[in-house]
Amino acid sequence: MSQPLLFYALSLLAIVGAVGLLMFKHPMNAAMSFAVTLIALAGLYGLLSATLVFAIQLIVYAGAIMSLILFIIMFLNIQPDDLPDESGYWYYLAGGAAALTPLALLLLYGINSLSVTSTPEAPPGFGTIKEVGVVLFTDWLLPFEIVSILLLVALVGAVVLAGKREGGND
Amino acid sequence: MSGTEIFITIIRVGFGVFVPLSAVAVMVWMERRGAGFIQDRAGPNRCNVLGFRFGGLLQNIADAIKLLFKEDVIPGHIAHKFYFILAPALVFITALLCFAVIPFADALVLGASTYLMQAMPLELGILWFLAIIGFGVYGIILAGWASHNKYGLLGGLRAAAQVISYEIPMGLALVSLLAVYGTVNLTEVTQFQGRLLFGVIPMWGVVLQPLGFIIFVIAAFAETNRTPFDLAEGESEIVAGFHVEYSSMKFALFFMGEYIAMFVSSALIVTLFFGGYQIPWLNTQTLVAHARPVAVALMLILPAAAYVFARWIGFNNPGPAPNPAQRVRETKVYIAVVWSLVALIEVILLGYIVAGAGGAADRILVVWLQTAVFLLKTFFVCFVYVWVRWTLPRFRYDQLQKLGWEKLLPLALFNIFITGAVVVALG
Amino acid sequence: MAARVKQIKRRGRTFLEQLYLIEVIKGMGVTITHFLRNLRDNRNLYVRDYPEVKPEITSRWRGRHRLTLHPDGTVKCVACFMCQTNCPSECIMIEATERLDGVAEKMPARFTIDLLECIYCGYCVEACPMDAIRMDTGIFSVTGTSREDMVLELEDLLATPGGFAEHEQEDR
Repeated sequence: MSQPLLFYALSLLAIVGAVGLLMFKHPMNAAMSFAVTLIALAGLYGLLSATLVFAIQLIVYAGAIMSLILFIIMFLNIQPDDLPDESGYWYYLAGGAAALTPLALLLLYGINSLSVTSTPEAPPGFGTIKEVGVVLFTDWLLPFEIVSILLLVALVGAVVLAGKREGGND
Repeated sequence: MSGTEIFITIIRVGFGVFVPLSAVAVMVWMERRGAGFIQDRAGPNRCNVLGFRFGGLLQNIADAIKLLFKEDVIPGHIAHKFYFILAPALVFITALLCFAVIPFADALVLGASTYLMQAMPLELGILWFLAIIGFGVYGIILAGWASHNKYGLLGGLRAAAQVISYEIPMGLALVSLLAVYGTVNLTEVTQFQGRLLFGVIPMWGVVLQPLGFIIFVIAAFAETNRTPFDLAEGESEIVAGFHVEYSSMKFALFFMGEYIAMFVSSALIVTLFFGGYQIPWLNTQTLVAHARPVAVALMLILPAAAYVFARWIGFNNPGPAPNPAQRVRETKVYIAVVWSLVALIEVILLGYIVAGAGGAADRILVVWLQTAVFLLKTFFVCFVYVWVRWTLPRFRYDQLQKLGWEKLLPLALFNIFITGAVVVALG
Repeated sequence: MAARVKQIKRRGRTFLEQLYLIEVIKGMGVTITHFLRNLRDNRNLYVRDYPEVKPEITSRWRGRHRLTLHPDGTVKCVACFMCQTNCPSECIMIEATERLDGVAEKMPARFTIDLLECIYCGYCVEACPMDAIRMDTGIFSVTGTSREDMVLELEDLLATPGGFAEHEQEDR
């Protein structure tokens, strides 16, 4: 019904946000347009009936990480003079685009070679918290635990680093 | 879509939008008169139309009109006008959206179809709340940053840091709670709380998770930037914090956003810990099965309550001031209004008992009853917010962060371990 | 004389107090008793219903100024400029003129007090050698719709009666 329309609108928003992230000169504008991309991506997940991923995307990326980035930008209080000189901006952009063209073509080819008709409809209950939880804790238990240990290491490292600096000052 | 379905959807969405908006007026009134009474003052009680003061409620309308007609100033030094205007809208909209997932009555079963009584019947429930509340921080950060003002920046900094750091104990308190309930869907959470523990105590969250309740309430106070955690607008230090540069309706949006957030978090505390719309010992099935006796009981209780209320109005409304004729007339009108409302409800209930009992009417009656109970509980928790505000002094900023990170976080983790062990042990 | 030392017990260090919650609940108990008492009966509020009930002010209250008259109806003020000189906010402006009625040598032709400038310190009253200016009118609510309204002229000052009986004046 309205799903293709929503899909195109959200994809457009996501791309516009990503382009804005690259093009805006002021970091606050760039961060805000990136937030638009993240929210549009959450909408795309929602369209794919991945309910949990939709929520996690909003909570973690749009809610927590982006607001931390905004927080830091606010802290830095960047003035127009502090921004780097970007006179060669368009050359870099054109060069980057040219370098990425083969990759984009490859991606386009890959997507075109996928068969369109072979995607079955998601079963009821797909993407809900329970389903994702069951899959995570049965089929993917080991990777899940390894990732959580990685996060724990990062957490402990952050605490140690913060504690060290405090001890040095006093 | 059938006609009933459209009608019920309109009612649900209307409830989700207009109840928080109207609650703002009631809560501001409650705050100001409550503060007055706690401090042995009267609070605003003079504003009137033709001598009718409605207990001071008209003051809010006067304030709203004042804010609407004030000049909307955007200071000249503001470079990012878009963010400056976006910020109050974000704060307001996120607060309002959070309310959409909170169930205000049990699922209404009409014939073969079931209607969930939420503005947005999402599976996500509490996750939606967590997702949306994160966007409220955007509004605060953008307001503080775009104001380009030392006080604004400091206030935004404080508010954002506080909200972000208290989201962690809040989320962890929720984890243990959801482990108990086994679901994130708020309708199911509330249905769970309709059961009885050992056959006597209502299985409310506050009974099952007392530690989680304390952590959650403290974090909720910090999330809504209310005293004792309202450092973001510490008047003595940073004037008004992040909304120092805002005037007129933009300030009103911040103000209303703050009160709606308070209402929503009260509603959430009620839903998670105080059984939501559940009446203790009378769950939905019992109510539907005994709708007729319940209606009769209501018909008996209402006049008694109205009698007490009318007595109270008659005693307190004239007040000590000498202007008796007008005040006495006003009091008489109020009492008449109370009794005519009671008469109207009695007639409706009588009509129900005589004609409509059984089937759909029973269920609709139960929905009305549960909505009333839900609002009653929510406003009581709102009153607790007011009560705490006018009792406790403000925290110092480092104390606030210490409390969050050094006390609440370990406590919440401990609570998760205990809860997990108990849940596993009980199977 | 040895200084008297009073030891005050330091509070807030015991475990129960460090928990905060018990103390918080105690404090909330205090406030709710006030709330419930006033909700049940709002006649106990420590509030004056101001426009209807005027505050009782004493004769020592420094209200709006007035200029006094001799018993025979002549102006007491001799335009000595003491009040104008003493005024810290420079709100008094006197224009003197020769006095022909034999009471004194000078009298004010104009005597204006800008109430928007006045800080009601009462130095003019203290300084006056003739007891000509007083602040005993009992007027505590000074309002006006324009700046000009707030400037008192000689005629206004003379026309304002005292707010208290003479014996109350002598009590102070």
